[in-house]
Amino acid sequence: MERLDLLSAWQIRAGIEAGDFSATEVAQASLATIREREPRIQAFLQVCDDLALKAAAATDARRAAGQKLGSLAGVPVAFKDNMHLVGSRTTCASKMLENYESPFTATCVRRMLDAGATPVGKTNMDEFAFGSSTESSAFFPTHNPWDANRVPGGSSGGSAAAVAAGEVAIALGSDTGGSIRQPAAFCGVVGLKPTYGSVSRYGVVAFGSSLDQVGPFGRSVADVALAMDALVAGGRDRLDSTSQNVDVGFANCLEDPVEGMRVGVIPSLMEHKGLSAEIKEGLEAARKALKGQGVRIVEVGLPNMDSAIAAYYAIGPCEAFSNLARFDGVRFGYQEPSCETLAQQTAFSRAHGFGAEAKRRQLLGAYLLASGVYDKYYYPAQQVRTLITSDYAAAFKRCDALLLPAAPTTAWQFGHMSDPTQMYASDLFTISNNIAGNGGVCVPAGLGSSSGMPVAVQLQGPPFEDKKLLQVARAVERGIAHAGLFEPNTVAPSFVERGGDGA
Amino acid sequence: MKKLNEVLRDWDVTIGLEVHTALTTLQTKMFCDCKLSHDDPPNTNVCPVCLGMPGALPVPNKKAIESIVMAGLATNCQIMPRSYFYRKHYFYPDMSKNYQTTQGPVAFCMHGHLDLEVPGQGANGGYVTPIRIQRIHMEEDAAKMVHVGGQEGRIGGSSESLLDYNRCGTPLIELVTEPDIRTPEEARLFMEKLRQVFLALGISDCSMEKGSMRCDGNVSIRRRGTTQLGTKTEMKNLNSFKSLHDALAYEICRQAEVLEAGGAVLQETRHWEPSKRRTVVMRTKETADDYRMYPDPDLAPFDLSEEFVQACRARVPELPDAKRDRYMAELGIKRKDADQIAGSPAAALLFEEAATMAPECAGLVANVMVNLAPAATAITAAQVAGLAELLRDDAITFAQAREVLQIVDGTDADPREVVDKRGMRQITDADALATTVDEVLQRCPSQVAQYKEGSRKVVGFLVGQCMKASRGTGNPKLFNKLLVQRLDEMNRG
Repeated sequence: MERLDLLSAWQIRAGIEAGDFSATEVAQASLATIREREPRIQAFLQVCDDLALKAAAATDARRAAGQKLGSLAGVPVAFKDNMHLVGSRTTCASKMLENYESPFTATCVRRMLDAGATPVGKTNMDEFAFGSSTESSAFFPTHNPWDANRVPGGSSGGSAAAVAAGEVAIALGSDTGGSIRQPAAFCGVVGLKPTYGSVSRYGVVAFGSSLDQVGPFGRSVADVALAMDALVAGGRDRLDSTSQNVDVGFANCLEDPVEGMRVGVIPSLMEHKGLSAEIKEGLEAARKALKGQGVRIVEVGLPNMDSAIAAYYAIGPCEAFSNLARFDGVRFGYQEPSCETLAQQTAFSRAHGFGAEAKRRQLLGAYLLASGVYDKYYYPAQQVRTLITSDYAAAFKRCDALLLPAAPTTAWQFGHMSDPTQMYASDLFTISNNIAGNGGVCVPAGLGSSSGMPVAVQLQGPPFEDKKLLQVARAVERGIAHAGLFEPNTVAPSFVERGGDGA
Repeated sequence: MKKLNEVLRDWDVTIGLEVHTALTTLQTKMFCDCKLSHDDPPNTNVCPVCLGMPGALPVPNKKAIESIVMAGLATNCQIMPRSYFYRKHYFYPDMSKNYQTTQGPVAFCMHGHLDLEVPGQGANGGYVTPIRIQRIHMEEDAAKMVHVGGQEGRIGGSSESLLDYNRCGTPLIELVTEPDIRTPEEARLFMEKLRQVFLALGISDCSMEKGSMRCDGNVSIRRRGTTQLGTKTEMKNLNSFKSLHDALAYEICRQAEVLEAGGAVLQETRHWEPSKRRTVVMRTKETADDYRMYPDPDLAPFDLSEEFVQACRARVPELPDAKRDRYMAELGIKRKDADQIAGSPAAALLFEEAATMAPECAGLVANVMVNLAPAATAITAAQVAGLAELLRDDAITFAQAREVLQIVDGTDADPREVVDKRGMRQITDADALATTVDEVLQRCPSQVAQYKEGSRKVVGFLVGQCMKASRGTGNPKLFNKLLVQRLDEMNRG
């Protein structure tokens, strides 16, 4: 029998429909793989065997009853642990919410379940999504499936690692400054941050409300497209007043030819001094892959890109300060025992419930919003936001998508990145996308010649043109595979070799 | 302490009001679907949104936006085509998110005014003065806190504080006036007028007692003839028109006493204690609170379309001032009566229905509405019209009308039938009364003589005698007329 843990979401869906195997068998295989691999990866904060087997049994019952199967029927899916799923805890990888039971199910999770997905667990992350390595999890770090000495990236590191290790076919993450795209790049999987407003934020614990966007990880562009169709089906969510209607049809247009399309490159970014040689090689390979399919490469500029990190580290912390104010130990979450006064209880609950990075960002936000300071940082940051948004609008008049680096380097080793500002700077290529709100996707472009780690490139598209963006991403994936650099649906090799005894 | 009148001779007063009105006539809260109710057991109308649970998001209540736009239109405000919700941060358990969703510099309604008519007092004539309205903004209410174990439910000395989040997220509109108010009386009149307008709009029950309309007052004084504004204090717990007036009057006198003794007024928030008739310090504002206000990223900028505003405009009913003017012009009602009836939507409705039933005596209908109806609990328009007609026909006296009202109140009885059935109808036949008049005049020669000498007062006494003789069945007005006729005849004869 085939290794069920190595199948794509499409293959799982088709196999269940055809009766080659049952959803329950797929769920059991996924759970067995998790049991076997988790000691080394630690991608999961919780594994929900009961929920998984129950959902799989329901899918099998539907099939037995001759009912129509959902587009993700029986596909094992993992959720970043900032997404509510009734029957599981939602910890945000923080001591603050260590025992917090999800009081309702997030809209994005609900839509995956409505499409028939099998929920297998909640994945590790940087605490409250503050970070780029998953090291700030209050519980344990996650390891990169390609090299256990390296970080998986972050903040959605657990989701990226779970997909890369073949534990699940699809995972959801959230991206505030690159938190889907950068770990996807580090782990050799595809990760999409859709245009802001495409996917409901209801039930996802907020970090930066104007920047956060939920999106899928998969081992192929096709699997990511399949998940997107499930996420936008049903239209805008009336529980999230910033959500918008997006038509389904992501999976239909992937094989449409890209000939004649224009993809923009920004010379200063392609030659950025911080880029490693491997990354430059990846970009060159992607450029070739696109050219080979009749895409014209044009040079464009994003002149205000240099201000993106500064603007992001003003807006993000301000929103984080405000969103995390509700964690005061009064109604839910960590409550400091034996306090004399309310003020003490609030102060100590927050002091002992939050980790260092969460405190750093909130203090920064509290400072930046203070009267007199607001006008110097928050307000100009919003002006920068307008400038960057118009830069993108101008660039997209000249091209259909942008090709740019995902991160300056491949995944770094644990302990390599100790200075927070150095880590903030590594988000350079992903952050402007959250500031402007348009979509971005990272696609593997080969393995680094010196590190042996996955190298990825990033594509960005105009707002609400994420279908075309995935079409271009699929062209890169196709060309890279054609060049023999990286196959779609690749599971991290150490695990392929070790074999999956669950299947 | 000096009396207010004395203080006002030497000092100019500047008062500004902040009025919070809960939109109690809505079905649901400001940002979620929870039921709005004051009567349910604590913490039963709550959900992840109003409890501020992680992951929950606000969705604005369209009907609340309609209400505030109507309030703005009724107070001559500019309705802003684009406004924003802001987050106002402070750590306190009554605000579940530890920030209140409110509005920033641009509110839904800006730059309005209400014209205040201040009636004359003694030698001073009445006057009309515009009170400018700075803004009306939308916000959410906090949870109710109940402090147990302290005095009068205050937090000081309490052993526990209980939280009821049923109120958390109730839609509130806050109206802020410019500091245009000059006396406690003007402040009281402004609040009364605002309450009448909001009642007419039907956006709130406007109960100051239940707290659905709350008012804070800012007051400062400065020496007459100077222009530099004094330091202001803020007054809380003004939960009745009387408290509003009395607290401001007390505070003005207190500030004058402090300043006249060479002291300085401190910028502070003070609490009105109605039982002791004084204000006491709640907290001193040494530095302004920093609420770290910024635009709420969960709520997009709010663009109000012209169509939406027009639809709200169409729903603004005739307002009390216009109603009063119409009653005066079309029905010939006295200004004082028209004012009083127009101020209450329920009274106006009853009046207009009754006036249609008895169109030829609208003035008496108004009289019944103002002087009799307020004592009734459930009186119908037909009954009001019936009473007015009985009075018009001199069939009953005003005192009897009050009695009839008590009988018919809460029933659907026709006052005319009640009067007939109980034999209350007065005799209005002059021939029938003439005999009584003659009898009385015969019995009272000395009063007749006094009349002859020019005393008109005795007529009242003689009417009383006639009423007594007829056991109250004669009409006093008619007796009066007949007596004067007869006396004048006697004098001539």
